[in-house]
Amino acid sequence: MADVETQIRETIEGTDVVLFMKGTKDMPQCGFSSRVAGVLNFMGVEFTDINVLANDDIRQGIKDFSDWPTIPQLYVKGEFVGGCDIVTEMTLSGELDKLFEDKGVAYSKEAADKIRAANA
Amino acid sequence: MSVSEEIRSRLEAAFAPDRLDVTDESERHRGHSGWREGGQTHFRVVIAAPSFAAMTRVERHRAVHAALGPDLVGRIHALALTVEG
Repeated sequence: MADVETQIRETIEGTDVVLFMKGTKDMPQCGFSSRVAGVLNFMGVEFTDINVLANDDIRQGIKDFSDWPTIPQLYVKGEFVGGCDIVTEMTLSGELDKLFEDKGVAYSKEAADKIRAANA
Repeated sequence: MSVSEEIRSRLEAAFAPDRLDVTDESERHRGHSGWREGGQTHFRVVIAAPSFAAMTRVERHRAVHAALGPDLVGRIHALALTVEG
């Protein structure tokens, strides 16, 4: 398990934006994962998707790592941001924009505004 | 006691919330992974309590997970959470 933890840590610390999800960004296999991947895709954020369904050790390991019981899990610059509910709330409130700006992650503000306009 | 009732009773005991809605949304996920006949697998919880006010979003969710406990969280396939202070 130590190997899995190391692997997870290196992935999170070595990649600006990482989404642990069920399925892939192109073919999500869960509505909650799909929503978060969809937001990031729509906002033009470059991110690495880790399909937990492809690896049981990572599926359990990521939950232990973050002490968070559910998938998806979004990490930005090594920091755990949250799951589907939190990412959704932060997208609509503009907090996600601020996080990306603070962390120096490129994203489309115009696309984020479109999401907010569509959900207003 | 149904899973919904267990969720409700544990959250009431932990937070004495001003607002608590526990909805079994399993039917909306019929056929999805984790779904089973009879429901009680996918839930939406809306909870508001003063003790959440000073917490970050992640802390709020962690507090709810902790109050439910790993055994109950382990039996729920999906939990959509809205937590307000």
